[in-house]
Amino acid sequence: MISVGVDVGNKFTKAVVLKDGQVISKSIVLSGFDQKQSANEAYDQAIKEAGISKNDVNYVLATGAGKKEVDFANDVVSEVGAGARGAVYFFPSGRTIIDVGAEDGRASKCDQNGKIVDFAVNEKCAAGAGSFSESMARALEVPLEEIGPLALQSNNVIYMNAQCTVFAESEVVSLIHAKTSKADISKAVHDAIAARIISMARRVGVEKDLVMIGGVGNNVGFLKALGDGLEIEVLVPDKPEYVCAIGAALIAAERN
Amino acid sequence: MPKAGITTTIPVEVIFAAGWTPVDLNNLFITGEDPRALVEEAELAGYPRNLCAWIKGIYSTVLNHRDIQTVIAVTQGDCSNTHALMETLQLAGVEIVPFAFPYGRDADLLRLQIEKMMSFFGVSWNQVNESRERLGRVRDKVRELDRLTWQENLASGWENHLYQVSCSDFSGNPEKFSAETELLLEEARSRPPRKGELRLGYIGVPPIVGDLYNYLEERGARVVFNEVQRQFAMPFETGGLVEQYRQYTYPYSIFFRLEDIRREADRRKLDGVIHYAQSFCFRQIEDLIVREKLDLPLLTLEGDKPNRLDARTKMRLDAFLDMLR
Repeated sequence: MISVGVDVGNKFTKAVVLKDGQVISKSIVLSGFDQKQSANEAYDQAIKEAGISKNDVNYVLATGAGKKEVDFANDVVSEVGAGARGAVYFFPSGRTIIDVGAEDGRASKCDQNGKIVDFAVNEKCAAGAGSFSESMARALEVPLEEIGPLALQSNNVIYMNAQCTVFAESEVVSLIHAKTSKADISKAVHDAIAARIISMARRVGVEKDLVMIGGVGNNVGFLKALGDGLEIEVLVPDKPEYVCAIGAALIAAERN
Repeated sequence: MPKAGITTTIPVEVIFAAGWTPVDLNNLFITGEDPRALVEEAELAGYPRNLCAWIKGIYSTVLNHRDIQTVIAVTQGDCSNTHALMETLQLAGVEIVPFAFPYGRDADLLRLQIEKMMSFFGVSWNQVNESRERLGRVRDKVRELDRLTWQENLASGWENHLYQVSCSDFSGNPEKFSAETELLLEEARSRPPRKGELRLGYIGVPPIVGDLYNYLEERGARVVFNEVQRQFAMPFETGGLVEQYRQYTYPYSIFFRLEDIRREADRRKLDGVIHYAQSFCFRQIEDLIVREKLDLPLLTLEGDKPNRLDARTKMRLDAFLDMLR
C-alpha cells in the first residue's frame, strides 16, 4: 500500500511517499508562482527517490494553501487536519499542535487519533509566522539560519509594539540605530512571534503534550520563546516542515 | 413616495404607515454594482482604513443616492460608529432621525423612541398597528421559509439568509416581496428534502462576502439557522409593536441573544456554529463570551472588505467541516 501526501505551502511544496505506514521518500521544492508545477516537481522527485512509478501509488492526498492546484491528487484535506495527524504520528501523546509556516500560524487541539477538536489560525497578518523572522533577518543583515541561535545569546526583554510585519521592520531599524545588540533584537523578534502564537494556543486551550511542526520548528530562537512563554516542553519532530505532508499521506492510506 | 434610509432594522412599520419607502442602506450598499469602490470612496473622503466597511459603504451609498434625503440612524443597539456616520451625513446635508434601542429593553423607553419616530413621520398608533398587520402577513411567509429550511430541509442557507435579511425593509414593497416569497415557498415544497448534510448555525451580522453559503453547501454542509437575519424577520408572536421590538434580540445584550441562539441550536439540532464578526467591530470582543457560553463547536470568521471568500477563510471552513465530521 503506497500513499502520497503533497503539501503545497506558501513558500515550499513538500511531497512524502509512505509504504505500509513508513516514510520511504520525501522531497521539497520552492512553491514559486506556479503551484501546479511545483506540486508536480515535488511529486516526481519523491517518486524517483522512492524508486517506484506513479502507477504503484494507491492514493494521493493534497494539503496546504495551494492544495486545489494539485490536479493529480485523489482528494484534498485541510492543513489543520493533516498537521495534527502527522504530529500524532511522531508523538502519540501530542494533544496541542502548533504549526508555523512561512505565512501561517496555527494552534490546534486534537484527540489521540490526531482528529481536530478545536483550532485557531492567524488573522490577516503574517506577524505570527515565518516570513516575519525572515524579514527581520534581512533588516538585521543576518542569514536566516543564524537569527534563531542569535536570539539565544540574549536574556534581555524588549517589547515590540508594532502589530504588523512591515511596521515591525521599521521598529527594528530604530532599535539598530539605538545601538541595541543584534542578539537582543533577535530575541525581541522571536518573543513577538511567539506571543502571537501563544495567544492562539491559549484560545484553544493548551494541553500536554505540545508538538511544534512546520518550517519554523527549525528555529531554536522561536522554540525557546514559545516554551518559555507557555512554560511547557515543546516537542519537535525531525524535519518538522514535512509533518503536514506526512499527515496527508497517513490520511491517504486510511482513505484508500 | 419619499425614501427613508435605515442603518439597521428599526420599527419599519412606522415608515410604511407614513407612506414612505424604507431603504435598508446595508442591502443597497452590498447589492450595488461595485461595493468595494464605495468603501474606497469613503476612505478618500477621510474615513479611517481601520474601520468597519459597512459604515464606510453606507456613507458612500447615501451620497450616491440623492433620492435618499432622510436617514434613520440607530444610535444605540447597533454600531457606535453610526454616531460619526450620522454626523458626516448631516454635514453633507442629509436629514438624520436618530433612533435608540434601550440597552435594558425597557418597554417605556422603547415606546418613547417609537413615538418620537411616529411624530417625525406624522402617524398615529392606529396607522402603525394597521401597518404592523400588513407586514405581519409577509413575516408569516418568511417564517414558513425558515421552517422549511430547518424542519423540512427544503430550502438552502442562502435563500434562508436572503429572504429573512430582506425583512429589514421588505425590498421597499411588501406586497411584491410577499409574492416573491410565495413563489419560492411553492418551489421549495416541490423539492426533495436534503439529506446527510452537516447542520450549521450562522450567528452574528450578515456576511460581507457573497459566496459563503454556496461554499458550505458544495462541501456538504448547510446553514439551517441564520441568527440575526431571522431576528430581522421578527420570529416571535407578540401582542403589539413595542413588545415585538423588545423580543427582537439583535440590539440588546449578547446574553439575551445567546438565550435565543441556544434555544434554536437545540431545536434545529446544529452540529456546529459559525460566528461571523466584521473586522474592527465591537462584536469581535463579544466573541469571547460566545465561546465561553455556547457549548457547541464554534468557528469564528472575520470579514473586512466586500469580496468573495479568501483562501485563508476557505481553509478555516474546510478545517472546521473536517473537524465536525
